[in-house]
Amino acid sequence: MSVSAVEANLSEDERAGLELVRISGGIHQSDFWKELDVSSRKGSRIVESLVEKELVEREETVYDGHNTYFITPTARDLDFTLLMAGDMLSPFIGEEEVDPNSDAFSQWIMNLAYQE
Amino acid sequence: MAFEDLLEDPVIQKYLHELVGPKGMPVAAAPPDGEVTDEELAEELDLELNDVRRALFILYENDLATYRRLRDEDSGWLTYLWTFEYDNIPENLEEELYRLHEALEERREYEQNHEFYLCEICSIRFEFGEAMDFGFECPECGSPLESMDNNRLVHAMDSRLDELEDELNIDVRAN
Repeated sequence: MSVSAVEANLSEDERAGLELVRISGGIHQSDFWKELDVSSRKGSRIVESLVEKELVEREETVYDGHNTYFITPTARDLDFTLLMAGDMLSPFIGEEEVDPNSDAFSQWIMNLAYQE
Repeated sequence: MAFEDLLEDPVIQKYLHELVGPKGMPVAAAPPDGEVTDEELAEELDLELNDVRRALFILYENDLATYRRLRDEDSGWLTYLWTFEYDNIPENLEEELYRLHEALEERREYEQNHEFYLCEICSIRFEFGEAMDFGFECPECGSPLESMDNNRLVHAMDSRLDELEDELNIDVRAN
């Protein structure tokens, strides 16, 4: 099943949760359920379901002195246009080594500074 | 065709093009559902078998395709059955965002800590020390080298660094 099909089958709560994770770019589980205005148990169930559907990722963390999870969007939601400067793609793609002083990267930075 | 939603993204198209080149692009741009042989692809796309194999191998090196081998019992020949693994594209590009961030940080430091001189005729840039060695004259054309303000470059790098840190949840204070 494609990702858009998975998303189309989400419950209203799951959809709101996914939206929250995407807009925040990353949120602690303890803030997640408060923001959604649901109980902590329900919040945790929503996160579990989204993790299982591979729509968000979750890792353990310590926040405000207690153990919780940090929930982030998956790589799929990242803004890949940040690899572009004008119409030039990051010159490191397909390259083994990253050389910050390469001519190709200078060109990329010039595009970045003088685009538009 | 599979992975249509990913392939609609112009950055992903550019990424694949960068990897496989123009000749491999027909292969990379039309991943079939399920398994396929190199011969089937060549026939379907009307391409040279070598170009198809080259593109498949590049995709394989970048974790974007896998294969399994089958031996034909009569002829003893090996058949390669390929599967496109484009679900890995987002993770690959995420990695590229991190690599770009690292390069920008390093380059920004360099730009910030050096003074530059420019030959406006040849558009060649020199570090202060180099310019001094040349007596502030362009070694190519002899015109005077002018002090060059790179604030605009640093500023552009700063704002892209901010955007990347925000997108990747990189905690700058932790560094």
